[in-house]
Amino acid sequence: MSTRDLVLAALFTAIIVVLGLIPPVPLAFLPVPITAQSMGVMLAGCIIGATRGALAYVLLVVLVAVGLPVLSGGRGGLAVLMGPTAGYIFGWIVGTFVTGLLAQRLVSESQPALRQMAGFLIAGVVGGIVVVYAIGMPWLSFITGTPFDKVVTGSVVFLPGDILKAVIASLAARAVMVGYPLLPQRA
Amino acid sequence: MRIQLENVGLSFGERVALHTLSLELSEHRIGVIGLNGSGKTSFARLIAGLARPTAGRVLLDGLDTVEQAKALEGRTGFIFQNPGNQIILPIIEDDIALGLKSRGVDGADLTQRVSAALNRFGIEDLARRRPHELSGGQLQLAALAAVTVTEPDLILFDEPTNQLDLRNRAIVKDTIANLPEQAVIVSHDLDLVAGFERVLVFHEGRLAFDGWGHEALRFYRELAGC
Amino acid sequence: MLNSLHIEGASWLHRMGTGWKLFALFVISLALTLIDNLPVLAGALFASLIVARSIGMKERMLWQRTKPVLLTIAFLALVNMVLLSPRDGLVILLRLPAILFFASAVTASTSLSAFIDCLTRAAMPLEKMGLLRAADLGLALGLVLRFVPEIHERYRALRDAHQARGIPVKLHRLLGPLIISTLKDADSIADAIDARGIRGQKSRH
Repeated sequence: MSTRDLVLAALFTAIIVVLGLIPPVPLAFLPVPITAQSMGVMLAGCIIGATRGALAYVLLVVLVAVGLPVLSGGRGGLAVLMGPTAGYIFGWIVGTFVTGLLAQRLVSESQPALRQMAGFLIAGVVGGIVVVYAIGMPWLSFITGTPFDKVVTGSVVFLPGDILKAVIASLAARAVMVGYPLLPQRA
Repeated sequence: MRIQLENVGLSFGERVALHTLSLELSEHRIGVIGLNGSGKTSFARLIAGLARPTAGRVLLDGLDTVEQAKALEGRTGFIFQNPGNQIILPIIEDDIALGLKSRGVDGADLTQRVSAALNRFGIEDLARRRPHELSGGQLQLAALAAVTVTEPDLILFDEPTNQLDLRNRAIVKDTIANLPEQAVIVSHDLDLVAGFERVLVFHEGRLAFDGWGHEALRFYRELAGC
Repeated sequence: MLNSLHIEGASWLHRMGTGWKLFALFVISLALTLIDNLPVLAGALFASLIVARSIGMKERMLWQRTKPVLLTIAFLALVNMVLLSPRDGLVILLRLPAILFFASAVTASTSLSAFIDCLTRAAMPLEKMGLLRAADLGLALGLVLRFVPEIHERYRALRDAHQARGIPVKLHRLLGPLIISTLKDADSIADAIDARGIRGQKSRH
């Protein structure tokens, strides 16, 4: 891995940490305010690609593990990684990788804007929502003993917010693609 | 250190950054001036081994910067334009120690060399500070400490005073003037290089003038039309 | 801004090797996950509180540090009580906080550098296999901590600039400029690392 790739991943981890420091943004049509940090998976995958993006999240999880309160709301420490929602946190690493893979496949610089946005949106929904939940929900069900189907039903309430995040992330990813394209030069 | 360029050229695809050039330098102070995009930064990066020549070769004391990179490891230091981005770790003294640690220095030797580096630039009080709390001038001095701590023979500066205010500029300039190490200084700041034994003027990727500081400045002012 | 959750001290847990602590935590968590006996789980929860106290963490501090996770657990326990049985709810209400508090005690009794040293040593076999450079881990974590305050500063500047121009502050408008201006520094930071030979000669170019 080149020094530049290592630096890009580390800078992105720092961006994700900063997104956790921003107060949650209330949105008119959603009951709960959304945290900017939860968009990190989609942003990292769509902007710096699969390998560097996944590395950025490995670094984030390591920072959590070594006891730094880098998650939104000042959460951190081994307790977070051993709690019932730890599956989602480990799922971020895989989710970013999948988002990145799809974005690299679906989006190129020569496409029209709408096509790029659609590509980013698909990548973000599959990697940032489907994959993350596919890892987080079984873990939650295993740790707590709550039946899996009930966990799935309960998770549906988060879906509208997650889709909105994917839309915002694809807008931002497209803005970066125009201003400073990094996705095409893969790590 | 003897710097030799043998038919060196540098291009990025179609764009030529530096046209073929042969040159030998061994002066203690070497200035490099030129307009933006003249190739002066490329010149410094080639010497430091940060860029590979696309033609010819660069030799430092007879060693090829590409073929014998390993033997040259640690012999050159580089100070960049942006003072902030050179400090990599959150605490200044840890950052200064990093270059030594990666070369296997530890224990009392490490502590002693780090504090010597801080003392040398009069920044002992910055040891435990965080980079984002410091001024550009303080950061540039910390970067100098971090680069000189591994004792390079030659230090390259790429517009070291460009992003500093007047006061910090004076401090950094003074420090560079008194540096015992051999130095190549790329700068827009003409006063910085005026008294040098040798100043190179680059223009559109070619060496346009090579000579005494004051003559080089006169040539450069005519070239720039002011 | 990012203060570690480490608590200075010299307790028995502070003096224990980091690798052993993590191993013990892993074994205890696994055991508690397999145990289904209520009195044993209650005993474990009590033991976790004793351990936390022994390193200077009072219940109040434990609560502050684990509040979001504890609330999630309480909610899920309630769900289990309704859907399954009261006993099933009680089991996770005892088991999961115990694991959480043991984990918090390890976090509080281990310094950042002890953790990073332990991780770097753990990564050594991977380095021998040529998969990664163990020293890169410390470098990368250092880089993150180095640039968080700067990026936060940059975010505030962007937000202020929007407000000054009377443009409503919208996340999607800030994210692009924030990310671009940050990632543009990657080249010069990488140059500075390579010029100082921190990752060895191999990584250049």
